Amino acid sequence: MINLTINGKKITAPEGSTILEAARANGIDIPTLCYDKAVEIYGACGLCVVEAEGIPKLLRSCSAKVMEGMAVHTESERVVQSRKIAMELLMSAHDGDCVAPCQLNCPARTDCQGYVGLIANGEYDAAIKLIKNKIPLPASIGRVCPHPCEKACRRKNVEEPINIAQLKAFAADIDLNNESYLPDLMVRSGKKVAVIGGGPAGLTAAYYLNIMGHSVTVYDMMDKMGGMLRYGIPQYRLPKEVLDKEISIIEKSGVKLVNNVKLGRDFTINSLKEENDAVIVAVGAWQSSSMRTPGEELNGVYGGIDFLRAVIQGNAPDIGEKVVICGGGNTAMDACRTAVRLGAKEVYVVYRRTRNEMPADKLEIDEAEEEGVIYKFLTNPISFNGEDGRVRSITLQIMELGEPDASGRRRPVPVEGKTEELEVDSVILAIGQKLVQGDVSELKLNERGNIEADTDFFTTDIDGVFAIGDATNRGASIAIEAIGEADRCAKAVDAYLNDQPLDTRVPYISKRDEKTIDYSDREKCDRINPKVLPAEVRNKSFDEVSLGFTEEEAKAEASRCLECGCREYYKCKLLKVAQRYDIDPDRFKGEMPQKYTRDENAFIERNTAKCILCGLCVRSCREVMDIHAIGLMGRGFKTDISPAFALPLDQTKCNNCGLCVQLCPTGALTEKANLVKQVPLCEEFVRQQIEINGEKASVLVSRYNGKVLRVIPDDELSRSMQLSREELLEMLD
Amino acid sequence: MRIVIGQGSCGIAAGAEKIRKALTEQSIGCDISITGCIGMCWLEPIVDIYDDDNALTRLVRVSENDAQAVAEYVETGDKSKVEKLIVTDEDSQFLSKQTRIALRNCGIINPELIEEYTEKGGYTALKKALGMTPEEVIEIIKTSGLAGRGGAGFPTWFKWNAARQSAGEEKYLICNADEGDPGAFMDRAVIESDPHNLIEGMLIGAYAIGAKHAVVYVRAEYPLAIKRLKNAIRQATENGVIGEDIFGSGFSCDFTIKAGAGAFVCGEETALIESLEGHRGMPRLKPPFPAQSGFWRKPSNINNVETFANVAWIINNGGEAFAAMGTEGSKGTKVFAVTGKVKRSGLVEIPMGKTLRDVIFDIGGGMKTDKPFKAVQMGGPSGGCIPASLIDTVIDYKALGATGAIMGSGGMVVMDESTCMVGMAKFFLDFTAKESCGKCIHCRIGTKRMLEMLERITKGEGREGDIELLEELCYSIKDGALCGLGQTAPNPVLTTIKYFRNEYEAHIKDKKCPAGECSDLIEYKIAADKCRGCTLCARNCPVGAIGGTVKQPHVIDTTKCIKCGKCYTVCKFGAVVKE
Repeated sequence: MINLTINGKKITAPEGSTILEAARANGIDIPTLCYDKAVEIYGACGLCVVEAEGIPKLLRSCSAKVMEGMAVHTESERVVQSRKIAMELLMSAHDGDCVAPCQLNCPARTDCQGYVGLIANGEYDAAIKLIKNKIPLPASIGRVCPHPCEKACRRKNVEEPINIAQLKAFAADIDLNNESYLPDLMVRSGKKVAVIGGGPAGLTAAYYLNIMGHSVTVYDMMDKMGGMLRYGIPQYRLPKEVLDKEISIIEKSGVKLVNNVKLGRDFTINSLKEENDAVIVAVGAWQSSSMRTPGEELNGVYGGIDFLRAVIQGNAPDIGEKVVICGGGNTAMDACRTAVRLGAKEVYVVYRRTRNEMPADKLEIDEAEEEGVIYKFLTNPISFNGEDGRVRSITLQIMELGEPDASGRRRPVPVEGKTEELEVDSVILAIGQKLVQGDVSELKLNERGNIEADTDFFTTDIDGVFAIGDATNRGASIAIEAIGEADRCAKAVDAYLNDQPLDTRVPYISKRDEKTIDYSDREKCDRINPKVLPAEVRNKSFDEVSLGFTEEEAKAEASRCLECGCREYYKCKLLKVAQRYDIDPDRFKGEMPQKYTRDENAFIERNTAKCILCGLCVRSCREVMDIHAIGLMGRGFKTDISPAFALPLDQTKCNNCGLCVQLCPTGALTEKANLVKQVPLCEEFVRQQIEINGEKASVLVSRYNGKVLRVIPDDELSRSMQLSREELLEMLD
Repeated sequence: MRIVIGQGSCGIAAGAEKIRKALTEQSIGCDISITGCIGMCWLEPIVDIYDDDNALTRLVRVSENDAQAVAEYVETGDKSKVEKLIVTDEDSQFLSKQTRIALRNCGIINPELIEEYTEKGGYTALKKALGMTPEEVIEIIKTSGLAGRGGAGFPTWFKWNAARQSAGEEKYLICNADEGDPGAFMDRAVIESDPHNLIEGMLIGAYAIGAKHAVVYVRAEYPLAIKRLKNAIRQATENGVIGEDIFGSGFSCDFTIKAGAGAFVCGEETALIESLEGHRGMPRLKPPFPAQSGFWRKPSNINNVETFANVAWIINNGGEAFAAMGTEGSKGTKVFAVTGKVKRSGLVEIPMGKTLRDVIFDIGGGMKTDKPFKAVQMGGPSGGCIPASLIDTVIDYKALGATGAIMGSGGMVVMDESTCMVGMAKFFLDFTAKESCGKCIHCRIGTKRMLEMLERITKGEGREGDIELLEELCYSIKDGALCGLGQTAPNPVLTTIKYFRNEYEAHIKDKKCPAGECSDLIEYKIAADKCRGCTLCARNCPVGAIGGTVKQPHVIDTTKCIKCGKCYTVCKFGAVVKE
């Protein structure tokens, strides 16, 4: 035995063993991407380098042997710098998306590609579980979300984005209409958490904290839970029956819901803090913003959310025949379409820019127009004029578009001296909403007048009191934003309750350069939208406009997904090493060595753009299997791995053993799953015995949500039999 | 009288074979034979005429049209016939100031005849060595201080001894003739000009380490070298120098040639072994070193051509005689291939301890044009540049290493003020990036990213912080690359940054190329006071970018100009200026 130290720790290792082997045997992790026991030492990746005292060069620990008295350092500054640069270089030439852009653009990081793919495969049960990892109210959110995911969806570059939001609603409706999914709860912690506000933020935080083992009670001032989802969104967009069902699942999962209690009247933040281990303030923004236009105080001028709430509560005001809505967002759309449904004859939307700049969802803008709404673009109210205290007309300033502003949209500027007078019966100001500050006087507010909460930990100036959602920091935003915050806040509160540190570092992931993506090989396939009630029917009723997807439509729409995110995301060794150090590959941004292409056969998909040239595939094919189906080609930066003579894999001696795929540390080689549409999923791998011609053989079986996705040969016998994946699947049964 | 025509590849390329044919047609009544490379590249083709007293008249830059004059001279002895062809005394000093050991027979003997080699004492060293024990041979080499001439300068005896000590019956002695540095051609010269010297050195090495197999790995781009080496092996075999029981000593050794397919990295010894075994030329991890596990995993020793070319001389003259030349740490002589903006380019063999000034100015004759000396790139793409201020650096492994350059295989590219140092670094890096085998990350991607940065800088798209980023990457590549190719690839960049940082800064900050070489950063203009309106530039401009009337100053339309530099070259009045 040889005596040495690694990072100051005294260890012994058998003579002839490598530093890497000695370190691993002693629980010291040294990263490597090209080493595997199955094949000869290669030394390409250079990540396993270590420093040994008295030796000037860095040693590749995969090959350097232990020596008596050696003092090895595996994480010294020089070692870390070498690995960091190696990873930065490697990732600068690794052309792939770890995660799809839809997921990255979702404020809640919902695995859109995952559930869309599962829906395409008819795996609705698995889809809802995946969605509920991030959103506890998917049927509601699917209906109302302005879907940032779809804005990022790359299918838009072929024709139109995938209808992600509606697919979510589709999967969630199936769940609601059947035995609904209830999450498994963790062991009870005995800790109590109070949540003030039962809107999307509060309910979400409560749902996840309950799953994490804490006892959570949600307090809300209204007579029912749901917050703005209930009181700010019209029935025709989100039927309250759907919301009720989703909230009841949250309640069923163990969250206590208390209504008709109000902060400041029935309790204070501090009083709740005394009774609980943590308090989350999620009170929302329930006050309509003013336009600071003369005449706003006149009768017949309503705040947008006030108007919507009144209608929902059955107290619709008398708005008359001519109604003007000011604003271009989704609340303006909700207000104008509600006004139409209340029977107004002429409904105008006054907006200071043009249709293209409207922040509202395009579908909403179109559907409102179909229902008879009249847009008055490039107009801005400069006064509301009244008679006897009631509004009678608006004076509009005519605008034109000037230079782009900070948001990239062209700035509207008044056309000198040009105005227009519009006669009205009522006006609805849908230009924003804000926190009712008096409710949260116990907390420190920021200069915008919102609660100041830490953006990572959601802490406020009172210990143990957290704040999220519309009431905080930058103010009101969309529901999914609040849900994302709530999910992260739940983790922060959990860490706080368990007195654990919380890693808020955003881990590195690889993203493709959008400018370099080629869509020319993608066949066009139109986006499917769920059918809607005819305009002349729906503008007279509050029935839900969308009829939802049929199963056939949903599957077809989900199948359009381009599968941007990498299927090997969950077991990518490359990514793990990339995330180990704080790397910035953009420093070395440059040409990509290989074109992003997918070469596939019945069971393997090859993408050399993701290849890191560790050589494990080539070496295992040669050294273990003695098949030589693939090899290295070219030199320098353009070195590539390719089947012999650049033939398709099917025309080589490849026997589908799958060893290369198993050893590939990243997504350059992927084995297809037993699915119609391929999806990146966090599979569970189990080693299992099968019988081949009366002999026992070993296979690796991957499952997701109980379904077998892949069966991979895992010993000499199973690899040598040239078995198709179908045959292997059968043998498992 | 006899005529000897210099027929190395260089001589042949310059027209030596045509001259030989033309001379043969003159039916001169004397012997016409060939020799290898004389080393005076700038004077090729060269025809040497020896009179009956063996006195030499050297004719240079001879063309086939001179055949008759040469014939007349040979027949009449009237030197006036060839007066204008006779080498000048000044040019002759190029050779007379050298000390030739490795190149001792080059340009003198006929490389295709073993007899000419043995007449010069060839194969006596082998005989002598076979009379000693292998340990005694190694001891002599140790005394000589001979170090690997391929670039790394590792003590030869140490490698021989390690291979000798390695257990195993089967051992290999390998010669690395994969000379790949751009601008280096001393190995080719040795093989083409004196192949038996290489064979003899190798056989002595094989005997010393206990190898029964000798292999020469020579690049396929050297067909003449391969041809002459094959011929020499055949002759040596016929003469009992190669084969069983050589000279009755009981020592047997066979000899083979492997032609490499031209990958630069195969000059790296483990990649060379991979290639010899029929695999893709990629380096292996060291340890194990070839001395323990090399060709076919057997103990192997690999030396460069020039190293072997010194061995027979050392055995015959003693280790002390070799060690008497040179410096404390660098013994013997070294061959340099001097090229670039120097007046006299060619092969220079001098004792260690001379200075760069001796080579470039004393032997090389200084600069070709009136532009001042700027720097010399030593050691090819693995080496570094040494600026004019260090011209008195002594040729010695340590002293050269201290400048950031290396001795290397002996490439010396001389540059004057018209060479852009960023462009120079880019040129060499482009070479190494393309020649990277692709195995390790630092070399495969690192050199490419460095090249991209240099391309950016020379295009005027350099960014603040690029120099620091380049340096960071350089040091990381040196530390992390798997083999010598990658570990040394940053040297040209590091040394140019070290000595010419201001040039990098000028490119990045001022978007100017001080040497006026980076076409994206320069503009051609016509100085009105110097222009005579001769219209020559306008007539030569390929894109019609120059306008003006006769006898009036002309003007370049910079929007049309493609910066080809044609006007600059043709103007007889220096009126076209680069800015």
